Amino acid sequence: MRRVDERRKPLEAYDGAFTSGDTETVMSIVEGLLVDGAEPVAVLTDVVAAAQREVGRRWQRGEFTVAQEHAATATAISATKVVANHIRDDVPVTRGRVLVACAEREWHALPAMMIECALRAHGWDTTLLGASTNPLRLNQYLNDLGPDAVAVSCSVLGSLPTCRRFIEATTASGTPILVGGPAFGVDDVRAIALGATAWARDAHGAIVAMDGLPAVVAPALPLPGERTAEQAALESEHRRLVARLRQRWTLVAAATTPDADCLNSVIDVADDVLHQTLHAVEAALLTGDDRVLTETAWWIDDLLRNRGAEPRMMDELVEILSVAMRDYPVAASLLATHFVVPAEWHRDATIDE
Amino acid sequence: MQSVHDATRQLMRRDAREVGAMAFNQTVPCQPSDPAADLRAWDQLVEDVGTGLSGSLNLRRTALRLLTMIRPRLADWAMVVLPGDRQGALTIVGGDDAGFHAVVSASAIADTELGRALRTGGTELRHVMMDDAAEADLAGMIPHPRLAAEAATMRPADLLTVGLTARGTTIGALVMIRCEGRGFDGQDVSAAERVASRAAMALDSARLYEERGRIATVLQRSLRPPSLPSVDGARLAARYRPAAEHLDIGGDFYDVHCRGNDWLLSVGDVSGKGVEAAALTGRTRQSIRTACHFDRRPEVVLDALNTVLFDEHTKDFVTVVCARMRRDADGGFVVDVASAGHPAPIVLRADGRVEPVGVGGTAVGMVAKVQYRPVTVNLASGDTMLLFTDGVDEAMGVDGLYGVDRLLGLLPRYAGADPEVLCEAIEQDVLEYLDGRQHDDIALLAVTCGE
Repeated sequence: MRRVDERRKPLEAYDGAFTSGDTETVMSIVEGLLVDGAEPVAVLTDVVAAAQREVGRRWQRGEFTVAQEHAATATAISATKVVANHIRDDVPVTRGRVLVACAEREWHALPAMMIECALRAHGWDTTLLGASTNPLRLNQYLNDLGPDAVAVSCSVLGSLPTCRRFIEATTASGTPILVGGPAFGVDDVRAIALGATAWARDAHGAIVAMDGLPAVVAPALPLPGERTAEQAALESEHRRLVARLRQRWTLVAAATTPDADCLNSVIDVADDVLHQTLHAVEAALLTGDDRVLTETAWWIDDLLRNRGAEPRMMDELVEILSVAMRDYPVAASLLATHFVVPAEWHRDATIDE
Repeated sequence: MQSVHDATRQLMRRDAREVGAMAFNQTVPCQPSDPAADLRAWDQLVEDVGTGLSGSLNLRRTALRLLTMIRPRLADWAMVVLPGDRQGALTIVGGDDAGFHAVVSASAIADTELGRALRTGGTELRHVMMDDAAEADLAGMIPHPRLAAEAATMRPADLLTVGLTARGTTIGALVMIRCEGRGFDGQDVSAAERVASRAAMALDSARLYEERGRIATVLQRSLRPPSLPSVDGARLAARYRPAAEHLDIGGDFYDVHCRGNDWLLSVGDVSGKGVEAAALTGRTRQSIRTACHFDRRPEVVLDALNTVLFDEHTKDFVTVVCARMRRDADGGFVVDVASAGHPAPIVLRADGRVEPVGVGGTAVGMVAKVQYRPVTVNLASGDTMLLFTDGVDEAMGVDGLYGVDRLLGLLPRYAGADPEVLCEAIEQDVLEYLDGRQHDDIALLAVTCGE
């Protein structure tokens, strides 16, 4: 089999069609690559996922609206389905059964779909549960299918708490659970802290990790009490906290210009920022991985700069956060120490997700 | 050939990796030292098996868990014989490879020793020597060549078979082997029996659950939302999220069918909730299909559906909207819409204008005779028609109902977008609005004009 990157032309053609939202062309390019003998998993990781990462960066830079982002994702899903159909026709099932799921509040169905596709390509008998699945539904499938493993994709920090519930449900049945996705960061620290059996960086990593999973695992150990209690309190107060922060942040107050588009876009970004910050605090409490706060601070700083907000908005955010976290001592101290952008990070324009 | 010693060591190594944190499995008792402490350890194992097996209702997973818990504490090698998927079949799980499972016919082993153990539910202990007769003994208890070969490498050994009896019936057997120098003494046998009795209860619960599950799965399949056909000149997308999300079925439905290029789309919501409601959606969908076999006009289809449901003399009623789509001369579609008490469809024009379709009527199944009046809508390239159920607009968030106005406000952003994108955006917006609150069944069906 040839490698995908030997053909620059199809890749450029893919990017072109993908950016202009031409789903038909995107699908026929993918079909062409597969018919030419490209390795299906490589098509997913090197073509579809690579282009999709660029979509996130474009949104970050304010070049893509949310609707455009949705449209691009739909195109990527169509491309993934072409690969999935190709695999289903070509590859017999030779291994055990895997349940691939997105945690609740995880609306990015694409990464899970790609993992499912990659595992199916390696002979696993896969069942995919779509976007935002609740633990009850996962449990139903665990008992009905009795899978050999569960694989969960987590893109957003806000779905880490339900991911923990998935881990509890899965390990309670003795089934091993593999986790991955941007919300878990660049190593297995958060995955291990949450009690997952294994962590994978990407589709290739998932294929390798699946082979190393034990047949039976012990139930996940309980999480540390104090931090978990504070996380639960933050989760239940989330909406109220966001509303309060929104009132106090002059970024939102300043956005009362007559220009409706600007208004919408700033409030949308402000909301994203506030949700993301609180989710990062929760993630740090739950996993003990403080880096998530520094990474989020960098992401917000970069987003605000890209969207033309004044630099003092970041400092102001830190101030209103410390006031809002008055009743959450652990969170407050984590924020004070870790919610800063290291000076050396400013020199790098962008980092990969 | 592998020596017994190697085989044992290999087993123990693998088991230690599998169970990880389970402390009781890490220590292998060698010589009995303190009988009271031994008894306490066995009590603990019985207790651990009881709690450990309660986490799953899947028969194979429960068996796997049992095998990892008893090795190497109770046995060096073990397998479980259980009822299979089909009548007259037995499933065997276990051996060296934890994931191994095979199916054997119950009648084929009826006359073997294992067959007898399954009938009597009793305990049998025998010493297996190195000679050829011993191989036959093994085959009588371990009816799979691969597993019998594994067991043979462990000779001379003790083979202990304990029936798995729960709720008055022997459902299977637990077969265990201990290598030379570590035979089963009286206390070990009684511990094995206690473990088996705890395990049998969990395994039998899983068996009952699976049996029910199979019935449910078959019935459920016919009630799940259908996969969408491809329509010439249009794109379709749908979303379905029942109130009881884990059941995958509910009281909302959608359906799309055609004769040639004459399409009928329907979206509806039956009275009631859960499984009973889902059963009624099946009948409703079938009635619509049958009705449009005779006349495809949506007002006539609804009239027929009303007559059928009203004649059943139940309290059931259904709100439903039917849309008949046909190509027009300009490559667009002419759509005739009729509604029976259902939220009006919304047309999203390519330029972002939103137009609720002004159509109404009485829900079907409530009064004997209803006159349904159709409304005609034209869809040009890039226009989308959205059919939805009240799970969308009546979603109850912290600020009250989601409402049709919020939906109308959301749609223009997705003008000209793929219907898949539109449905995903609505589903996400509604679910985020709910913020984890309970919701009613939600169904969306969108059709966009143009390839």
